[in-house]
Amino acid sequence: MQLASDFRHAYSIASGPALAAVLTPIATASNPQRLRSFYEFTNAQYLTKDLQSTLFHGKSIRVSKSEQAAWVDIFAAYWEAVGEVLKYEERYPGASAVDIFIAWKKVSNALIKGYAGSNGLKAWTLPCLYTVGKFLRTFAIKADLEVAARGSTEYGFQDDLAVDVEKNANLEEAARIINRMFTLCLSDRAPIEDSRKWGIYETTNLLFKTYFKINSVGLTKNLLRAINAQSHELPSLDAFPKSHIVTFEYYLGVIHFLDEQYSKAEEHLTTAWQMCHRDAHKNRELILTYLIPCHMVTTHTLPSRQLLAPFPRLEQLFRPLSNCIRRGDLVGFDQAMAAGEAEFVKRRIYLPLERGRDIALRNLFRKVFIAGGYEEPKDGQPAIRRTRIPVFEFAAALRIGTHATSRMGVDIDEVECLLANLIYKGLMKGYIARERGMVVLSKNNTAFPGTGV
Amino acid sequence: MSSSVPPWRATASAPSSTPVAYQAPATPAYIPVQARRSLTSNQSSSISSAGTTTTHPTTTPAAEPARPRIEFSQAVRNYVQRCFDAKNQIPSVSHAEIQEKLRQVITEAADRNKLHIIDWDRTALPQHMIQNERNRVLANPAVSTWAKASPLTSPVDPNRKRKSTDFGQQQRGDDSPPWKKANNRNRLEDRTTHPSTDKKSRMTLDDSSKSKANLEMRRRRFEGAGVNYGTSGTSSPVDPPIARSTVQDQGPVVGRCQTLEKNYFRLTSAPNPDTVRPLPVLQQTLDLLKKKWKREANYTYICDQFKSLRQDLTVQHIRNEFTVHVYEIHARIALEKGDLGEYNQCQTQLRVLYEQKLGGHPTEFKAYRILYFIYTRNWTAMNDALADVSAEDKKSSAVKHALEVRSTLALGNYHRFFQLYLDTPNMGAYLMDMFVGRERLTALSSMCRAYKPDVKLRFITEELGFESDEQAARFILDHASAEALQEIEGTVRLLTSKAGPLFETAKAEAHRVVDIKGQI
Repeated sequence: MQLASDFRHAYSIASGPALAAVLTPIATASNPQRLRSFYEFTNAQYLTKDLQSTLFHGKSIRVSKSEQAAWVDIFAAYWEAVGEVLKYEERYPGASAVDIFIAWKKVSNALIKGYAGSNGLKAWTLPCLYTVGKFLRTFAIKADLEVAARGSTEYGFQDDLAVDVEKNANLEEAARIINRMFTLCLSDRAPIEDSRKWGIYETTNLLFKTYFKINSVGLTKNLLRAINAQSHELPSLDAFPKSHIVTFEYYLGVIHFLDEQYSKAEEHLTTAWQMCHRDAHKNRELILTYLIPCHMVTTHTLPSRQLLAPFPRLEQLFRPLSNCIRRGDLVGFDQAMAAGEAEFVKRRIYLPLERGRDIALRNLFRKVFIAGGYEEPKDGQPAIRRTRIPVFEFAAALRIGTHATSRMGVDIDEVECLLANLIYKGLMKGYIARERGMVVLSKNNTAFPGTGV
Repeated sequence: MSSSVPPWRATASAPSSTPVAYQAPATPAYIPVQARRSLTSNQSSSISSAGTTTTHPTTTPAAEPARPRIEFSQAVRNYVQRCFDAKNQIPSVSHAEIQEKLRQVITEAADRNKLHIIDWDRTALPQHMIQNERNRVLANPAVSTWAKASPLTSPVDPNRKRKSTDFGQQQRGDDSPPWKKANNRNRLEDRTTHPSTDKKSRMTLDDSSKSKANLEMRRRRFEGAGVNYGTSGTSSPVDPPIARSTVQDQGPVVGRCQTLEKNYFRLTSAPNPDTVRPLPVLQQTLDLLKKKWKREANYTYICDQFKSLRQDLTVQHIRNEFTVHVYEIHARIALEKGDLGEYNQCQTQLRVLYEQKLGGHPTEFKAYRILYFIYTRNWTAMNDALADVSAEDKKSSAVKHALEVRSTLALGNYHRFFQLYLDTPNMGAYLMDMFVGRERLTALSSMCRAYKPDVKLRFITEELGFESDEQAARFILDHASAEALQEIEGTVRLLTSKAGPLFETAKAEAHRVVDIKGQI
């Protein structure tokens, strides 16, 4: 049987990824009958016996008794899950995604159990944990979709909140199981060479992903706290596989991002961006989705065309806004925000992008300053810009910028409020002399810091 | 089933179920599990004796090898049958696990000679025990924070508890009280006091001694409760799994209580129809409560009454426009009184009710939700709230107002913000009042940085929505020093450079994240 020989091969070369491939519940292109032939090789009655003899047949690999028992348990559960998968794929009546999930939970539990004790599975087999956890998550999502599609009849008589809470019932359960995988890795006391601690970031990533999906981002804090408490026993980040770390840094960035801690978010996202594989296009796009708004908030800069060229979707998402910000076009900005609102909210970037309005406003006011020209030159000294500007000039710019009709007008107090804000946020330097209706801007090309004037 | 009221019943539920604060109920609202007990036992006596062994041939053997010589009572058999009943299955718990646990439970009972003492009808099913154990393991890291947080939020706490029992379905493992293994056993023993309620008691009816035993039992249990939970003021040692399975078994209760008013008690078991008011009575109750609120404005009373009203609606599964109405009124009253815990309870329920399009005022409450998240500065939730707002919602003045409040604050446009504050629809002003002070400090910080050398007090009064110069001055003196205000050329002015740093400090203090338990 192919699967058994794959298993023995993976074991003999102690390759985690190869072993994980054996436990993958999908057929491969090279072997489309992979699952079916495994399922048909035995039946429920002889399952354990057959597994025992085929998996460990011959002397090709040395596996301890307890490990053997663990693998038999795991593959027995896997065999049942494969049965459900096949039933489902063949649209067998009564087959359901929920059943697949239930069966796969058993695989997960058997695997977790396999690591228990000092005679448990070795750390090199960790990729199995990632694979099983990954599919646990996808099967749970499918199961939830199926439950939702079945309609609310099932919950019609249940209590009020059922509707809301049950929506992700299976995925929440998956999260609990993955959490056990997380603990399994974090709490391993074996010497670091053969420790499951090497799996900590990948299981964390899986949990992050799940928590984001069930809208419980708050729970990620618990994981970070747990990791932090153990940090002295963990190898440094750069010792881990890059693929683990890129994802981990990305999620860290997004978590800070959602807390409006943009500079921290930027730090982590930048790390992820720099470490991300050049060809991981989708990941790079995801990172940029958050890194660009971060950058806009922290450094007030906009993404260049060159940066976004490989990412047409991002170009489309950010370009209209960027153009309006650059031009100081407030009406256009508001329109672009409204047009993109659904998408922005979905990606959770609406709130930081909204702050771009400050930059647009700054650019508008900057134009007022430049239009103000220069003071009368004195005694042949270099000309300096006019730095005392009446508030009503800014008001006029706003009136143009917002296409306000004369009737609506612009409230001078509101203009002062906007100016005060820009000054407070450091986008303008100067002060308002309210009695005289004047804005006094800083000299020496620092009135609008970072913009050259 | 309720026609013959056992003597212990009149008081049994109250001490056992209620937290310290609710210790002295005059008339208990609910009695442990009365209803379901008779239902199942009726069922069981007629059908199950055959059913246990024939329909689930695999189950009894599982239990029997443990004590082959013991003749299992009907109650035990019913229990076993219940374990494997399709409707009690939990997907995450396998058949084998149930069998294993069941064997454990029964063996332990047999070992301790308790097979005939334990009230099997009310014993948690193995699958629930397993689930609870798992949840406990899972919830463990959170336990400590949970326990720490609860004393701070004691006013909110009863609500949370109420939620967890009333809305049994909604309960997830994470909410369940972090009981310990030892407690598990406690619970079993506790229940042995109840057995008077059980069939056995009917067989050998001896009411006087039973009630004595009950009294003793209750007292013991109460002590236990004090030890385990008394200090934290969280849960009493009640097991949600039972409440949960009860609801499943039983479907909605139909009440027959005709009294309009009723004190609120947290349910710890199936409700007694005698103390549940049917819809027509509840409608009268609401009218009465509205009048009383207008006349007396006694919030403690009103809140208690509304909670019992809501509970009666829930246990009878009444979900219609009237339900929405009740929750809306309670939410508004809670808002007015600043009872955020109760307000949140209602708001959570309303969200679900609105989804079912039962009428009411969804936009009004969507607006409150947005304002509330501004207050709690919960940006993740705010993003979700924004995602919930449809184009249709945006046409309503309340939602439009709330959205504009949010965006003015995000952009620091205090000028517009305070205009909006003075023109808030519905009861939104109660919510806005909670963060106006904070935003005034933010605005003053900006103003002090931007205006030089001073601004007139009058200007601050107008810009920041104060009612009078005196109020504005008082606010400034509360957060900055008296030197910041000076009279120059006949007008009172704020010296910006002096006051700035002071407001900056006050602002940072005020903007620490608000954390309120029970929010949506």
